[in-house]
Amino acid sequence: MNGERDGLLVRRVLGGDTDAYAGLVARYRDRLGRYAVRMLGNEADAEEALQDTFVRGYRSLARCTDPDRFGAWMFGILVNRCRTHGAKRARRERLLVHDEGAMSGASVAHSEDRDAWREEIARALERLAPDQREAFLLKHVEELSYDEMHDLTGVSVSALKMRVLRAREELRRLLAETYT
Amino acid sequence: MNEHDELIARVAETLKEPVRIDPRLDARVMAEIEAGRTAVPPTRRVLDWLTQARTIRLSPLGGLAIAAGVIVLLWTGTQLRAPSPAAEPSLAAAATLTTTVQFVLIAPDAQSVSVVGDFNDWDVSATMLREDQAPGVWAVTVPLSPGRYRYSFLVDGTTWLTDPLAAQAVADEFGRPNSVVTIGES
Repeated sequence: MNGERDGLLVRRVLGGDTDAYAGLVARYRDRLGRYAVRMLGNEADAEEALQDTFVRGYRSLARCTDPDRFGAWMFGILVNRCRTHGAKRARRERLLVHDEGAMSGASVAHSEDRDAWREEIARALERLAPDQREAFLLKHVEELSYDEMHDLTGVSVSALKMRVLRAREELRRLLAETYT
Repeated sequence: MNEHDELIARVAETLKEPVRIDPRLDARVMAEIEAGRTAVPPTRRVLDWLTQARTIRLSPLGGLAIAAGVIVLLWTGTQLRAPSPAAEPSLAAAATLTTTVQFVLIAPDAQSVSVVGDFNDWDVSATMLREDQAPGVWAVTVPLSPGRYRYSFLVDGTTWLTDPLAAQAVADEFGRPNSVVTIGES
């Protein structure tokens, strides 16, 4: 199942093989989870939004018009679920779970400094307006084009560019003391 | 890459670090799916969705774009500008003509001034004003098609200013004021 293309797994699910959906969930859990954690600021809210996303994805799977792009389709659902969860839920204590193996090769000498820097970024990100945070993450972390962002969010390209610009300015302001 | 860009690049790289979600999430997802699966299959849910009545939300910008007035703005601390062409185009012609708008800002201590707005996709370096007319008088002309444009001035790359003489100003979605220029629509 690990090597099967998204499209094949989607077709299996639609054909009645519900277990095949577990393969898709496992494949995209961490990938989508990163956006949810960054957007919502804590793991608990992120997991809730993520579970909601996967369940909604299953229930709507027949509407996935390009099964080979299942991941991109799910990302659209996640962006909307994060908006809803972010609006409803108060921020809980932030707890980021990093992949320690992936980070062990980082060049920063002092892990305490690195953790402090991450905390500063997380704090600054949380202080952005949700619309700014969403636009910044989609552009600079998920590396989507503005057209892709427009397709995902329904927001005009011009407005998205303004949001990204404002987000960058605000992050610079918030992080200026730490960075300089 | 300047210092500001380096900072944003560092932020982005940090935020790209992998996040590991509890793998038990998979089981919770599948349990929730299994619980609901016997009730209504996905294909049936699609039919339900297609036949449901629903509310369609429209962006307010579409409505705003309809509202119009022939307003031309100029930027200055002390003086006004004039748009060209001087003769008012007919409505039919207005749909195809551009109007040259001069943006002016009096900023004697500025080292650089740019105008940033909807017409240049909020690119902070796309439209720089020049200090040609007199010391401290920064100006640039921009051809604009009919429409409504939000904009602000950026001084020395750090300070945002709205137009004190602008006929209209609106806050963006983050509460920051922007000036507005509307061209050719009525």
